[in-house]
Amino acid sequence: MELFVNILLSGVAQGMVFAAVALGLVLISRATGVINFAQGALGMFTTFIAFSLLSSGVGYWAAFVAALAIGFASGAVIERTLIRPLQGKPALNPVIVTIGLLVVLEGVAGSIWGNVARGFPAAFSQKGLVIGTTRVAFSHFDVFIVCAVVVLVLAIVALFQWTDLGLRMRAAAFAPEVSRLLGVRVGRLFTLGWALACAAGSLAGLLVAPLSAFSPYYMDLNLVYGFTAAVLGGLVSPVGALVGGLVTGLAIAFVGGYIGPDLQPIAALALLLLVLMVRPQGLFGTTEVRRV
Amino acid sequence: MKFRKHRPVGHRWVVAVGTAFAMLLATGGVVVSSTVARAASTTGVTSTSVTIGATVPLTGPAAPGYSEIAPAVDAVFKWANAHGGVYGRKIKYIYLNDKYDPTTTATLTRKLVLDDHIFADVGSLGTPTDLAIQKYLNTEKVPHLFIESGCNCWSTSKYPATTGWQPPYTVTGKILGYYIESHFKGKKIGELYQDTEFGQDFIKGINKEVPSSEVVSKQSYDVTTLSGAMTTQMSALKAAGAQVVVMATIPAATALAMLPAAAIGFTPQYVLDNVGADPPTVGPLLSAYTTAATHTKKAAAAATALMNGAITALYQPPESTAANPWIQVEKKILQKYTPTLWAQHGLDGDTEYGIALGYTFVQALKAAGKNLTRTSLIKAIDTKASTFKTPGFVPLNYSKTVHYGFEGGEVTEATTSAGTFKTPVGTWPGTKVLSPVYVTTVGNGPVKVYHGTEPAVPTTLSKTA
Repeated sequence: MELFVNILLSGVAQGMVFAAVALGLVLISRATGVINFAQGALGMFTTFIAFSLLSSGVGYWAAFVAALAIGFASGAVIERTLIRPLQGKPALNPVIVTIGLLVVLEGVAGSIWGNVARGFPAAFSQKGLVIGTTRVAFSHFDVFIVCAVVVLVLAIVALFQWTDLGLRMRAAAFAPEVSRLLGVRVGRLFTLGWALACAAGSLAGLLVAPLSAFSPYYMDLNLVYGFTAAVLGGLVSPVGALVGGLVTGLAIAFVGGYIGPDLQPIAALALLLLVLMVRPQGLFGTTEVRRV
Repeated sequence: MKFRKHRPVGHRWVVAVGTAFAMLLATGGVVVSSTVARAASTTGVTSTSVTIGATVPLTGPAAPGYSEIAPAVDAVFKWANAHGGVYGRKIKYIYLNDKYDPTTTATLTRKLVLDDHIFADVGSLGTPTDLAIQKYLNTEKVPHLFIESGCNCWSTSKYPATTGWQPPYTVTGKILGYYIESHFKGKKIGELYQDTEFGQDFIKGINKEVPSSEVVSKQSYDVTTLSGAMTTQMSALKAAGAQVVVMATIPAATALAMLPAAAIGFTPQYVLDNVGADPPTVGPLLSAYTTAATHTKKAAAAATALMNGAITALYQPPESTAANPWIQVEKKILQKYTPTLWAQHGLDGDTEYGIALGYTFVQALKAAGKNLTRTSLIKAIDTKASTFKTPGFVPLNYSKTVHYGFEGGEVTEATTSAGTFKTPVGTWPGTKVLSPVYVTTVGNGPVKVYHGTEPAVPTTLSKTA
């Protein structure tokens, strides 16, 4: 029973991290129809910046906010400088650019901070909470992870549903030409989409670093799981990303706990295949045709 | 038709992996390069030089810790070269970055043999990587020496040019299993191992000594996908009631096991293979255990607390024993010949390993005599290795039929009760010796007490370092 509870709880916490990665993928896919393979690497890079700030004596929360802000800004810069010039070119081009960015970011991080794995501090204690007499695999920090990701998803949903800006973003993504004719500054909204997505990626990086061997590669597998979560959720909806993340997190936790940890990545890929075969639009997707 | 939309995503993923892989390959390459004078008689040997090579991970997931070894090996060669070389020959060491990828290892090794004309491959790192070149080097009759891995696969009559160096994992496993049986009799044993030859060979050794009835849970992990905390494995070990947890883990995995265990209030007696037990290597990974509030102040303290009490088996003096003459001389060499490495890491488990290995090769060259050939070198190792002076507690027991290296060690505990020691990355628990030095074999032979003593540092080394 204790084992079951621990697997369940660790699956929830991990799932939230995958959800944050998936959210970034969804935002970018919605805005510009690109799968951003550098999503994890960007989160890694900004977390390393936070690490440098922490090491130089800056407080934890200041470093935390700085990493999110840098993530936000670099998302905007990447869209403007690397993605925008590829508009109208074959859809594969920007994807290849993001893969290149992934390799470059990991290489640069390695040369600046070294390829040494190390620890990254958590916002709150990682000691498990005590339920009854047992200490379970769910800590104050895990509570923070869940809250941070849920709040972020709700904020994005609110932005899309209840603000003018959100309406324009949806319009720009849905019908860029029409929106442009109606005076919407579509380009700026794409930039905003990338910025928000990269901030979400930075959040994921900060949240998962304390649970990982923190090195330039620690987000690689999280990207695979985040991608699974995003496809599971339909690649269009923030809530879908959240649910997709949760399902992916629980699935791999139970596979790891009851079948074998070796099979976790395979389980994620099996889940991905299953979704694509049975319900290709994902749990929350619609069946409209969209070019990616 | 949403399906149409997703299909390209699948293709892209394939493209992604392919491209990333190609780019990774493209960015790898020569780290240290040198022009090679062709020898008239023996490849890689002239009257003034001997060129040797190695493949090691300098970047990538396996690099942490391991990237320090080859530069430390080279420090010994620089020391030897500064004092006239061996029989007037300066040692040129070309070590290339294979990123722990066997395909890359195979390519780079062919480059070393065909382009750089190395005399021998010395101190290449890793089990899967060295397995990928063992046959090739033996076919080419290039000595494949002192592999940085304790796989049982290095001593086989099929590949006489290959030798191991560090104790086989099975030997370390047997020594620790013997200790567990005599000191933790009746306790519930849990196992966590890396699911490769490393973990399997180690557990084989444990299981030769510990009856299976005492093992309550066996957990493993896949090193290729290791990135996050091993909460499920540690929860399973806790649920099974394990009181002693035996681990064959690389340093990052040691941390990723200890962290979630501490989080769920699981504090077993850890018994670790020495691969993942070096406090200065594992410690920085454990600082994740600190929080926002305590990070700067207590990072080292928290790390020390988790490692405190962990048991392992060592085959050479721990870096914490500052009074040991070998440790003193190793520090001097590191400081003088690789000042950068010294400033970054000081003498830790990895740099110490490199120096001891490099010094072993220098002695092998000496033993091979003035007329150096590949045959004379291997013959010297087979027949004279027991006379080599190394920091190892037991002599290197190479023979014509056995090519393992050290086959012994003593059981030690990392504990602050034995004081602490400092490296550039932190302050670490000292080392308490728990047992005499044991020797054993990878087979079913008994674990026996070794009665010899550690050799003194040769004066040629202590006076010139």
